[in-house]
Amino acid sequence: MTTHVWRIVKLHFVNKWTVLGIPWLVMTFIFLVNLTIWGVIYATTTGQSRTDAEQGLGYTGASFYIFVYMLIVALQAINNTFPYALGLGVTRREFSFGTGIAFALLAVGYGAALTILSFIEQWTNGWGLGGHMFTAIYFSDGPWYARLFVFAGAMLFFFFIGSVAASVYVRWRSNGLLVLGATIAVIALGLVVLATLTSSWAAIGRSFLAAGSIGIVGWMLVAAVIAAIAGYFVLERATPRNA
Amino acid sequence: MDEDRPLFAQIAEQIENDIIDGTLAEDSQVPSTNEFAAFHRINPATAAKGVNVLVDDGVLYKRRGIGMFVSPGARATLVARRRERFENEYLKPIIAEAAKLGISRSELSTMIETETAQ
Amino acid sequence: MTAVIEVEHLTKRFGRFTAIDDLSFSVQEHGIYGLLGRNGAGKTTLMQLLTGQQFATSGDIRLFGERPVENSSVLDRVCSIKESQRYPDEYQAHHVLTSAPWFFPRWDAALAGQLVADFRLPVKRRIKKLSRGQVSALGVIVGLASRAPLTFFDEPYLGLDAVARQIFYDRLLADYAEHPRTVLLSTHLIDEVSNLLEHVIVIDDGKIVIDAEADALRGSATTVSGRTAAVESFSAGRNVLHSENVGGLSSAVISGLGPDDRATAIGEGLDLSPVSLQQLVVATTTSRATEWKESA
Repeated sequence: MTTHVWRIVKLHFVNKWTVLGIPWLVMTFIFLVNLTIWGVIYATTTGQSRTDAEQGLGYTGASFYIFVYMLIVALQAINNTFPYALGLGVTRREFSFGTGIAFALLAVGYGAALTILSFIEQWTNGWGLGGHMFTAIYFSDGPWYARLFVFAGAMLFFFFIGSVAASVYVRWRSNGLLVLGATIAVIALGLVVLATLTSSWAAIGRSFLAAGSIGIVGWMLVAAVIAAIAGYFVLERATPRNA
Repeated sequence: MDEDRPLFAQIAEQIENDIIDGTLAEDSQVPSTNEFAAFHRINPATAAKGVNVLVDDGVLYKRRGIGMFVSPGARATLVARRRERFENEYLKPIIAEAAKLGISRSELSTMIETETAQ
Repeated sequence: MTAVIEVEHLTKRFGRFTAIDDLSFSVQEHGIYGLLGRNGAGKTTLMQLLTGQQFATSGDIRLFGERPVENSSVLDRVCSIKESQRYPDEYQAHHVLTSAPWFFPRWDAALAGQLVADFRLPVKRRIKKLSRGQVSALGVIVGLASRAPLTFFDEPYLGLDAVARQIFYDRLLADYAEHPRTVLLSTHLIDEVSNLLEHVIVIDDGKIVIDAEADALRGSATTVSGRTAAVESFSAGRNVLHSENVGGLSSAVISGLGPDDRATAIGEGLDLSPVSLQQLVVATTTSRATEWKESA
């Protein structure tokens, strides 16, 4: 069983370009663009206005790319690698466990790298230019384990949301996705209505703030676990699509 | 390979022909079934069946771990058998066809004389 | 003889459509089997059921004596190659050739390398950028090099040219001879493969119409043609698989004619010609369409 599952993990890493090459290349590109912007701001501001600008730079979405990219990695893992693996004589169970492990390894690996980068960013005072890419305010500014938890946890969320959506698609095709989308929309709408009727928006805002990034990622992890379990059962009866 | 007869029979017949015309001498080794299969691009099991027909027939014999060989006296047996078939398969149809076309017995023998003389 | 595949009363429905209809058959160890039939006859569905990729509606499938669905010990001995195989996005051929060996314990890397050269497959190009034939060649390479005890080839050579197909046939025969295994090959190029096959299973409309040794099918049917009246009177009471008539002339594909029957036919002025495996399959799988046309 171990070797059976491990080969699936390896299968996800066989094309290093997809899981390592492209993400880092794009991240480097985004970083360089940001570096230029920070440089321009740094050169054109002084005193109070520079402090204000640096504070504003905290609200950056520059590193969100990596999380969205991992969502797409998850979609492709289920949509393309799953039928390929079945052709190689893999069971759905092995595929699900192996894919889960691969996601966990990627999340921890990228989480660790982002954590290190966030400390470097902090110690160099934003690469000498007061920039923020890995220390954006949505991320934890706590100790290393808190940062790792936020980065890896958020990434796991994107992995498993992507994979459960793709599993629904592989099993029930576009009709499945429509039903899933409609269900989520109805639930979301219900919650909005509920919050509005009970006038609890302010309370929700407060609890979000109180939870902090650690708390929010904690809830995202709960969602990821639910998505992972749901994805497992959806994929257990899925049949490969013919190209 | 003909479409209307089993391949194994055609393989067997081909080996017989090779024995009759001396291509395969008595006590010499015949190609393996895999060689037959690859050469004729046919299923090895089918080739093996053709060879086995000849083994059962005593035309070929097996040497364990080495291969198939032509049995001593195989040529004589095959020639005798073919001679018997010759009358039925070749002579009778010729005579029937000749009769249909009104070719007389003497005309037919003259034709045979002339053809064989060439 | 041991059965590698045993299928009993297998049925697969997609909604109201019955793709596989109460099939029962078995496949013996070590042989090259042909799974023949028209497009949409159910060949692909059957292969996917056999390899646990589809779930049966009812009936029983045993591979090596066990059910294949979610069963590693069975699936480790199975390789299934299909024309429409999906590969992960951005994969290059070498990614497939690197990963496939992890799944096939008997993988022969030297053979795979040889086949890559034979088929002139560019291994460092993205699969998406390969031609249809090159993608097919990749599948064929995996299927042969896997040396899986049970290998399925489902229309494996779409887009392969005649030379490449001949390479496939030759390599298959050569490797099969050295490493006997069970191969199930589905194709519509029946004439090309008829000599390679040991056994033939023909399905039509989800049902088996022929399940016989390939060599026994050779010469098992004859086309009898001539004037319609003569063909009809000769056909009466005989096993007619298919018949056609144009003007005053008819031809009928009749199975099981003995030497006496042939003599009778020739005596009645009818022409006899052998029926190839391909013609036989066409005759057995178009009969329903012909009947429909005639009654319409």
